[in-house]
Amino acid sequence: MLESLTSLIIDSPLNQWILDTYWLWPVLEIVHFFGLSLLLGGLIIIDLRLMGYFRSLNLETINNLVPLVMCGFSLNLVTGILFFIGDPMRYSVNIGFQIKMGLVILAGLNTLFYSWKIKPVLANSSVSSDTPISVKIVGLISLLAWTGVLVLGRLIPYVGTG
Amino acid sequence: MFVWLETTPIAQLVALSLWAYPALLSLHIIGLAIVVGIFSMRDLRLLGIAHGVEPTAFISLGKLAWIGFTINALSGILLFTSQATIFITSIPFLLKISFITVGMVLAVIIQARLSNLLVDDRYINSVDRTTRFLAAISMSLWIGAIIAGRLIAYF
Repeated sequence: MLESLTSLIIDSPLNQWILDTYWLWPVLEIVHFFGLSLLLGGLIIIDLRLMGYFRSLNLETINNLVPLVMCGFSLNLVTGILFFIGDPMRYSVNIGFQIKMGLVILAGLNTLFYSWKIKPVLANSSVSSDTPISVKIVGLISLLAWTGVLVLGRLIPYVGTG
Repeated sequence: MFVWLETTPIAQLVALSLWAYPALLSLHIIGLAIVVGIFSMRDLRLLGIAHGVEPTAFISLGKLAWIGFTINALSGILLFTSQATIFITSIPFLLKISFITVGMVLAVIIQARLSNLLVDDRYINSVDRTTRFLAAISMSLWIGAIIAGRLIAYF
């Protein structure tokens, strides 16, 4: 699937434009780094609270950080797609990139599970109390998955093809 | 001095080992996510975004940001040793270090101002002009540090 996508992208106008615009790549990298700060910053706070740390934080009000998390995710989705279009041969065969995308999907499914199953459970608990074990696990999976995404993203230049 | 630094065994390990440099870069990005992540949330909140979150929530989170800062100071020093003579003459690197230094000083000042909000809980959800101004400067410094940090590789 990735290979047919790659051949579609190569020599497309967008692919050419990204390659020919010398300042674009560093700008995309800077936006990607700022985006990951928003994404991870909000999630670290929310996930650690779900895991039962920082109990002085109100379980309900910290959900107000979710729009910032989504803003960070959107920035990184857009810049990430542009990276891929700019250099599909490099990313599609890179094992670090492939696992990173797998972890993003895992994190996404974990978030869906959180919204459907966990949020209703939390609605009954006090805003400053400890959290049930199921909630702690969801928080932990989220933190681990995103940490993996960060590390694998950084390692893309250093790992081989899969 | 920086020439000598590059010849130390630890610098040689970072420069020559296959895994040391990428491992340190991995730690450095985790630290970045913690430091810039927590401080962005704090600064944006103080600037009025996500205003449902209590500003005082960031007092306890400040410790976590310092853990991230420690991770990055240590991994950063080790990364620095491997190419000390190059980094020390790099304008983006020097700018990055300056932005981070001022950003951390501002973090201490903002932390103290948030603690004052706790003393008089009538003001617990209000953020004064000076604190908002400091938050705007702080957010700009962290964005500046990311920009300068990325540009080290290009200049």
